Amino acid sequence: MAGNSAFELVSERGWRRGLGNLLDNEFARWWKTRLWWSQALIWILLIGFMLGAVAIGAKESIDNVVLIYCIFASMFPAVGVIIRTQDAVVGEKQDGTAAWVLSKPASRQSFILSKLVASGLSVLVIMVLLPGIVAYGLMWFGTGTQLAPLAFLEGLAVIWLFQLFFLAFTLMLGTFFSNRGPVIGLSLALLFFQQYLIGLIPATNNLLPWTLVVPTNNQTYAMVPSLLLGQPVSSYLQLFFITAEIVIFVLVAIWRFQREEF
Amino acid sequence: MDNFVIQTQGLSKIYKQTNALQSLDLAVHHNSIFGFLGPNGAGKTTTIKLMLGLIRPTAGSATIFGMDSVRQSVDIRARIGYLPQEPHFYEHMTARQTLHFTAKFFFKGPQKALEERIDEMLDLVDLADKADRPIKSFSGGERQRLGIAQAQVNYPDLLILDEPAASLDPLGRRDVLEVMSKLRKYATIFYSTHILDDVQRVSDTVVILNKGKLAAQGPIEELLAGSEGVIYIVHMKGDAEAAASLVQSQPWVSGIKTGQHNEETTWQVSVTDPAAAEAQLLKLLVNGPVLVTEFHRKQYELEDIFIEVVEGGQNGRK
Repeated sequence: MAGNSAFELVSERGWRRGLGNLLDNEFARWWKTRLWWSQALIWILLIGFMLGAVAIGAKESIDNVVLIYCIFASMFPAVGVIIRTQDAVVGEKQDGTAAWVLSKPASRQSFILSKLVASGLSVLVIMVLLPGIVAYGLMWFGTGTQLAPLAFLEGLAVIWLFQLFFLAFTLMLGTFFSNRGPVIGLSLALLFFQQYLIGLIPATNNLLPWTLVVPTNNQTYAMVPSLLLGQPVSSYLQLFFITAEIVIFVLVAIWRFQREEF
Repeated sequence: MDNFVIQTQGLSKIYKQTNALQSLDLAVHHNSIFGFLGPNGAGKTTTIKLMLGLIRPTAGSATIFGMDSVRQSVDIRARIGYLPQEPHFYEHMTARQTLHFTAKFFFKGPQKALEERIDEMLDLVDLADKADRPIKSFSGGERQRLGIAQAQVNYPDLLILDEPAASLDPLGRRDVLEVMSKLRKYATIFYSTHILDDVQRVSDTVVILNKGKLAAQGPIEELLAGSEGVIYIVHMKGDAEAAASLVQSQPWVSGIKTGQHNEETTWQVSVTDPAAAEAQLLKLLVNGPVLVTEFHRKQYELEDIFIEVVEGGQNGRK
């Protein structure tokens, strides 16, 4: 039995321990299975079909097409993000793989961060960028108006932030609960009832991503359609709030997961 | 301190209102095979999880390689191989991918060395021909063998095995014991089991837990010697009473229990000096008024000790 001298040892230490390996594993789940192309196909077809049938087919103006696109491109993939993420922590707690992974030299922070980073970047490409590119072409072809590509990408970046909000929120809930019901239930409730919540508590206006895509009373356009149409954005303050909330969700998830017993 | 791989002091765990583990003091020497016994619910798996940092102690502490199991858990796990009681792996992965994933927690590369190590582990547990099958198609025994392979992939300094032979057939069990015996040169092995025969065959130190408490701990020879001290069994025919007077007058004899079956008398002679007893007892009897038909030192089976400790509620025996 030879020793381990032939090997180069892992050099990550502290909270980063195991992160590289866990990231590879999480990325592999997205990209080395049929998940990436099946998800890409679903969102391209769904957003493309809805855009083509509802907006372009009805010969709406580019402004209206963009508004409709914003809602489709934000809300629909967010459902997908919640469904994919609700299992990420709870599923591993239930089937014992989290305990197995954490019996190896991997920090609990790495466990959570690997899921956030791999899912976040995969969602960006599969659920935001690829359907976005197709939608961009459809809108150009359907309305005859070409949107500024850079401004469109900025709009997509904010749509991605919308998805990250629900990704981080669902991930955080997964660290608190031991079964999937409350995780998916609370996440979907927040997604679908955020506009009512804003109506009920106006102070949440800047705290919920709904108002990134749908204008509030005193706005013509919300931030995402403004960016997509290349129009000025009155304030980027909401981006700060949403980003801060994402960071808080992740920190709470890490805090809670470190107290989890397996 | 350096002589011990594992040390626990007052290690305790309470789940809600249940005392899963109560003030456990353990000391495990380097390169020993440490058998961790106890009935279901005795606290074996809880102890192992505490050592791995998967759960936190309610009181007390555990140090592994001199490192604290709570604060330095990740560094401890870098030197450990662990087989859970019920191994759970990612079902979509193959055995080879699982070992690769496990190895990458320890080693960056090179790729060739990683592949060689994985092949070696697959051969060791006889899974080479199933290496590229998804785990979801594996039987319980195959999962257990894969569990043993992944626990060893880093050549750990400490191998913690929770019921390693539980789902194996007799041949699989034999193989696991052989692997453990081979590994003792390189690693300390701490394993929990219900299979007392296995413990008696390979362990050098044994702990028995009962209801969350340490019930017995010590080198296996000491435990097998029993708590009654050294006893010699003598079967004889003839004038046993006269022989008893002779034997009882010896300063190293502390007592004789007598039994009678037909014409044969059976003694259990308790002695305080085993060396003197071994040298003189048989001689005294052979030269005396009896015909000795059988003479041997009383041997205990681990099962006897286990049952005595668990059912007798004899806690803290060392």
